[in-house]
Amino acid sequence: MTIRNVRDHGQRFRPRMTCLKKVEAVILEMQDPKTGVKSQPQRLVITTIPHAITGEDIVAWLANRYSIQTEEACTLGRMLVAFGYIYPLQDHKRLIIKPDASLYRFQTPYFWPAQQWPVEDTDYAIYLAKRNIRKKGILEMYEQEQYNSLHKWMNHKWDFIVMQAKEQYRAGKERKKPDRVVFDCQERAYWVVHRPPVRSTRTHVHARTCTHARKRTHIGSCVFLVKYSITYNKHDPFLAPCLPSNPWLTDDVTYWMLNMTNVEIPTKMRVERWTFSFGELLADPRGRADFTLFLKKEFSGENLAFWEACEDLKWGTAATMNEKAQQIYKTFLARGAPRWINIDGKTMEVTVKGLKHPHRYVLDAAQTHIFMLMKKDSYGRYLKSPVFKETQKRAIDPEQHSVTQLEANAKKRRPSLSPIIVRQQEEEERARMATSGPVDITQVMSKLSNKGKEVPPPKK
Amino acid sequence: MPLIINKVCDDGTTSSPITMEEGKALIESLIKVVACYRHLASCVGGCTDNLHLRCELQQTRERAHKLAVACRHHLTARLRDKTLPPEERQEMERLWVAFTSSLELLHVDMCKVLNMGSNFSLVNTSALVKTGIQGETREVAARALSLADLNRAEDPVPGSLEDLEQGQLKEEIVRVDQMLEDMEEKVNVPRWMVEARGPQYADPASMDSTSLGLYSMDEEASVQHEQRCERSQVFVILALCGVILVAAVLSVCVIYFS
Repeated sequence: MTIRNVRDHGQRFRPRMTCLKKVEAVILEMQDPKTGVKSQPQRLVITTIPHAITGEDIVAWLANRYSIQTEEACTLGRMLVAFGYIYPLQDHKRLIIKPDASLYRFQTPYFWPAQQWPVEDTDYAIYLAKRNIRKKGILEMYEQEQYNSLHKWMNHKWDFIVMQAKEQYRAGKERKKPDRVVFDCQERAYWVVHRPPVRSTRTHVHARTCTHARKRTHIGSCVFLVKYSITYNKHDPFLAPCLPSNPWLTDDVTYWMLNMTNVEIPTKMRVERWTFSFGELLADPRGRADFTLFLKKEFSGENLAFWEACEDLKWGTAATMNEKAQQIYKTFLARGAPRWINIDGKTMEVTVKGLKHPHRYVLDAAQTHIFMLMKKDSYGRYLKSPVFKETQKRAIDPEQHSVTQLEANAKKRRPSLSPIIVRQQEEEERARMATSGPVDITQVMSKLSNKGKEVPPPKK
Repeated sequence: MPLIINKVCDDGTTSSPITMEEGKALIESLIKVVACYRHLASCVGGCTDNLHLRCELQQTRERAHKLAVACRHHLTARLRDKTLPPEERQEMERLWVAFTSSLELLHVDMCKVLNMGSNFSLVNTSALVKTGIQGETREVAARALSLADLNRAEDPVPGSLEDLEQGQLKEEIVRVDQMLEDMEEKVNVPRWMVEARGPQYADPASMDSTSLGLYSMDEEASVQHEQRCERSQVFVILALCGVILVAAVLSVCVIYFS
């Protein structure tokens, strides 16, 4: 639907194309019969059409009138042609001004570029249909393509467009032959300005190289996207149904209870997600807890502890940053530290140097190194470990709720744990973990050797 | 056909029922008038812009308005009729799309003419752009008004006519605007659902025939085209044979008499 009565957003007062008004003033001066560019008749085969001007005359007039150099006059002339106020009679597709005897003509004010009337596709379709009639079905390549695409998306108006084109063609026949020729040239020039022809050879090559490069990245990203979609298909919250049931729809919070942060027995879907990537495992708190347990059994928990400490530094408050950084250095990085992590010499050098002036991301390199280490080494072993297999076996697969089940649930409904209480529980848990202290490998070994002999230290 | 249209225009009331063919003819006339108006409007501001052109523009506008009012009555009456069978409704919707598109084109052209008319005053003829047009547009206006020829009134005074004309033009633009909005409100036709039945390409060979319906043009045109092709081929063959015969006779004569 063509939009009429467009609110012009104050363009009346400060139009975007103020240059158009100025160009119009120049044109009106140029075409003045006494002081303007001198015109000559254009001789065609049968007829003579007046008011043709040569390129060199235009350039000379502009240079004279505005006291500018020839090059500047050429540029100004080119601008006039590019806007569509003057059109070339020979070589009509190239909107440039040639400062020689090539001929130009002034465009009629009906076809002047105007900001308040956007160039309509309907008009272009009518023009192409008319051109098709005149050229008896032989349109240029780009015109043909445009015609077809317009036919596709403006199909509902097509009867009207064809009828209007015919009527305009017939009305044109009522005019005298030279006028008809001039009108055709004017219209053609208008559409060369507003729907420029696609230059076949140059753009073809350019397009080809562009599409090649784009294809490669496209294919890469496509493959990745396909893989991602296949993997996460069942876990997508929109595509797969929520088991047992969506709490927002059925008012039954089993789904949330089963997927709580520190739930004892996770769901099968959750466990499956841990196998997708190491990042997923660490992102899920239950997964991270499981992984911690596994690492404790393997006595290589310092890597994960270091990683968590780095995360804490990155996301923590700025006030505690210095302190935390020092703590981490003492615990993990210093020579002879209780939980010394094994990173390569270069990274260690960079990190230690950075720690002299610590900031949030000072441990980034070390963290990435440890992450990759865990991913390549511990993650694989974790997935094959009895800890994980146990968790997998115990994981529950809730069934979808039936309607009767939901009604029963509604009867048994009780308010759930307040999030404040949940938070308090988490903090207590964290405090307990902290007070039990960093597990020193030597202590653990001594504990193991003195298993039967000592009384275990009292828990606070 | 012009007689029928005049009768309809004179009526202007919704009570007299217009047949489907007459409705189609109205729309076709409107499209023709809009096409002619565009040709006339392209001359405004150029070197052939004069009072006659402005008069012609005004007359064309009036004619377009009359046709538009008649079309509107016909289409709104038909489309609001709930008992319309589906094929007729589809046809009416197509006509409605054609009608609103022509009105929109006319609206844009009228706005442009108003703008250009205010920029190019006829008093100062040296400011009119030398566009290369030489002839007059009488025939185009005559075609729009479906008359054999325009009879020109005596030349009115330039200045007063222009102001009057600009004022009138503004009013007419507002009227067309109003009409379009009314149509949108009263009749609910989703435009994008309308399917065009005509051909994708206007058949160039059929441009010589004067009256064509909206649907049958393709078949008529193709038949006429084929007939003409065959006939022309036959003529060419006959002509060639004739030439060969004449040449043979002449050569025989030459041989005998030399």
